[in-house]
Parts: sequence; C-alpha cells; structure tokens
Amino acid sequence: MIEVIEVEKSYGRKKILKGISFTAKKGEITCLIGMNGVGKTTVLNAIMALTPINKGKILIDGSPLDKTGLEKITFIPDTITMLPKMTIAEAMEFMNDFYTYWNQERANELLGFFRLNRKDRISSLSKGNAAKVNLMLGLALDVDYVLMDEPFSGIDMFSREEITNVFTSHLIENRAVIITTHEVGDIEHLIDKVVLLDDGLVTKEFSAEEARENEGKSVIDVMREVYQ
Amino acid sequence: MKNYLKLVNFEFNRIAKLFAVLLGITFVMQMIGVIVKSRQYLNIVNENIFEAMMSKTQFLEQVGQLSFIDIARSIWFTAPIAICAAGIGFYIFLIWYRDWIGKNTFAYRLLMLPTSRLNIFYAKITTILMMIIGLVAFQLILIPIEMSIMKAMVPDEFRNDLNVKELVVSLPQLNLMIGSSIGEFFLYYGSGFLVVSILFTSIILERSFGWKGIVAGVSYSALAIAVWLLPLFLHEFVLNGFFYPMELLILEIIMGLIVLTASIWFSRFLLMKKITV
Repeated sequence: MIEVIEVEKSYGRKKILKGISFTAKKGEITCLIGMNGVGKTTVLNAIMALTPINKGKILIDGSPLDKTGLEKITFIPDTITMLPKMTIAEAMEFMNDFYTYWNQERANELLGFFRLNRKDRISSLSKGNAAKVNLMLGLALDVDYVLMDEPFSGIDMFSREEITNVFTSHLIENRAVIITTHEVGDIEHLIDKVVLLDDGLVTKEFSAEEARENEGKSVIDVMREVYQ
Repeated sequence: MKNYLKLVNFEFNRIAKLFAVLLGITFVMQMIGVIVKSRQYLNIVNENIFEAMMSKTQFLEQVGQLSFIDIARSIWFTAPIAICAAGIGFYIFLIWYRDWIGKNTFAYRLLMLPTSRLNIFYAKITTILMMIIGLVAFQLILIPIEMSIMKAMVPDEFRNDLNVKELVVSLPQLNLMIGSSIGEFFLYYGSGFLVVSILFTSIILERSFGWKGIVAGVSYSALAIAVWLLPLFLHEFVLNGFFYPMELLILEIIMGLIVLTASIWFSRFLLMKKITV
C-alpha cells in the first residue's frame, strides 16, 4: 500500500499541497482528480522522490521512501522519458539494461497491443504514440505500484480508447494504480477510488462503486457537487 | 558498480559526436598548421638564400632554425587546444542541463533508475574525465606525427629537433595539459577533477533550489575553493612562507581530498533529498 500522510509542499511562497493524505491499495485504481495546478503531478513526483516535500510522510508497504521502496513503483509521467534520438527498440534495450525487473515478454505484448513500430524514433512519434510508448516502458516493469500522470492529456480519441483498454487487461491486474487526470470521462467506469483535490487539500475521498450503488451518482456527479 | 559502468557507457555514447568533432578539429587544424608554418619558413629560406643570395650560415644566424616550438606557439596549434578546453567547459554544464531542459525530460528516467543517484554524478564526472584524457592522449599521439611531417618538409640543417618531453617542458599550455612529470600529471588532473566536482555540486544546487540555488552554488564554489586553497593563502599572506614546498603540497592534497569528499557527500544528499524535476 502507498500511504501519503499529511504531505505539504510549497514552491517559493506558494503552498501547493497543504496536508494531503490518501492511500492506494494493490488491486485498486485510485484516481487523483483536480483542476489544473492543484498539485496532482506534485503528489506523484513527491512519491517518486522527484521533488522534496516540506512536511508529512510517504510510506511504501509501511516503510518510508527509500531505494527498495522506489523499486516497487513505476512512474509514467505525461512527458516521454527517453532521449528523442532513440528508437523504440533502443529505449526498450535501455530499460532492459538497467532494470533487472524489466519484463521483455510484457513489453513485446504491449508493443503489439498498441501497434507500435520498434524502428520508430521517439522524436518522430505523435503525441498519442509517445504516450503509448511511455505506458509500454512503464508497464513492462514487474512492480507492485503504477503511477500515471495525465495519460490522456492532449491525445486523440482512438489512442485514448487503446490506453483505456490497458486498464481492463491483465497488464494492470493486482497492481495498485494511482492515476491523475482532469478528464475522468474515459476511465470513470474503471476507477475504484477517487481522491478529489482542491486548493491543496483532499476535499473528498470516496469509493466510485459505493457512490454509484448507494447514491446513484457517477464520479462526474460527485465532482460537480464538490467543484461547483 | 555494474549500473555505474552502464551509465558511463551510456553517457560516453552521448558525447561521442562532440568528442569526434573536437578530435577532428584538433587533427585538421594542427596538421594544416604544421604544413603552413613549415612552408612559410621554407619560403623565407628561399627568399633569403636563393633570391637575396644570403649564405646558409648568415641565414641561420639571423633567422634561426625552425623548431616545433614555433609551430606549437602558432594559432594553428593553440586554437584547437582552446576550442577543446572551451568544449569541455561547456559540456560540464550541458551534461546536466540537457537532461532537464527541453521537451523530453530524460532527468525523470535518470533519477528513477534502480541505482544510487550518486552513480549519475560519478558517471557524468567520469565521462568528462575520459573526454579530457582522451583529448590529451590524442594530442600526445598527434605531436610525433606532426614532428615527422615537419621533418619531412624542412631539411635537417634548417631544423632544431626536439623530443616530446622537451616540447612539453618548453610550452606552458602543453605543460599544463600533460605535466612534466607523473606527479604533476596527477596534481593537475586531481585539481581538475576537484574543480569539476565543485561545479557539479553547484549545478545540482541550482537544479534543487532554482534561483536561490544559483546564489547557493556560487557561494558553495567560492567557499570550497577558499577551503581548498587555505594552506596556500596562509603560507603566502599570513605565515610568510612558513611551510616547506613538500609540506604545502601535502596540506593542499589533504584539503583537496576534504573538499572532494564534502562535494560528493553534499551532491548525494541533494540528489537524494532535494533535487526537483
């Protein structure tokens, strides 16, 4: 389980996170939702120790963030993390070289799933295909936790559908997924838990299934109540 | 260790083109220099001996023999060395900033690699060191070839032949690059390594704290250099030449090692706890 406990973060005088807490369990898809600039990416960066936090704790399976904990997580940012001059095959080779838990079989499966060409250069990819490559590189790691930052940002409808299909496949099974987005429509039916962020705080944390079954509300309905 | 070596290989492959360009510039410019300077000298020989009918002895008394030092002092020889030094200086910054700046932020991948983040620091500094030593080694290979070309062009009686060691001792820029003894070589390259590590720490400070990091980086660099050179300052300005040269050297080496350790430790702390993508 990933536990984010009372995390605070400021950039200069501006306080972005004012004491955020939530948990993400294995087998669940947790969605961090909030308007632009609310600190969704900062939370993911903080979990990956890519930005320091001012206060609070982040625990991975009950232990504070350290090298072992970080090796249980894969982070898929909204920007490609490979060199533009690399081909997809070279990017895969790079991952295979450095990660002992790189799963080549799964990488090949994802490559086929997204119909990507190994010989394509990263710099020549469309935004949709770049997002798919990012996803492929991240998901081919045998880890327990997957963090995805805005995977649908700025990509076409068909690519969104393809990416959405990954969530229902065995490629995600038994992993804890934390996904940030402000376009919840595409994945609403897949989300287990929703964490709504506003003004640096968690304004509401709820189970999507319970909201649907008990209150008859969709995630978007709850968002409307909170944000409007 | 394995990941460190992989990172070094990866970083070196990324500089391969720049490295090849610098080698190419050095080779072409210095070769042209040898030919141009030798021909210029031979033209003077022709003008004076065959046209102005000056005797060979008179000519050698007035103009002198052509020495490789004359070629090595020319812009053809020194400019590529300066270009290589500038290229390395530029690359010390580029090797970090290219991973952060631009559309594709490779810094994410580097910092997420399942290895100690200090290995990134070590790999980058090793790459810079390999680049410098590679360029110096290339220069050392080139000099005898250039000397042979000069020998082939200029007749014996008009030449003052030197060996590589004599040339290195005679030219300050080569002496600084290569050193006249093994001790000097380690001293110069140890100092260079220390300066690069201080600069790297300053760059990481900037990457961690933004504008405040620039101030912190400049202050850190000034402080680190002051600590490193403290025995020298004390020796010169306070203690009126109190230390024997060997004592001063040992003190400087100790201070250098302290500053190097501090730089590496501080960089590790920043990379682990403060760096921001």
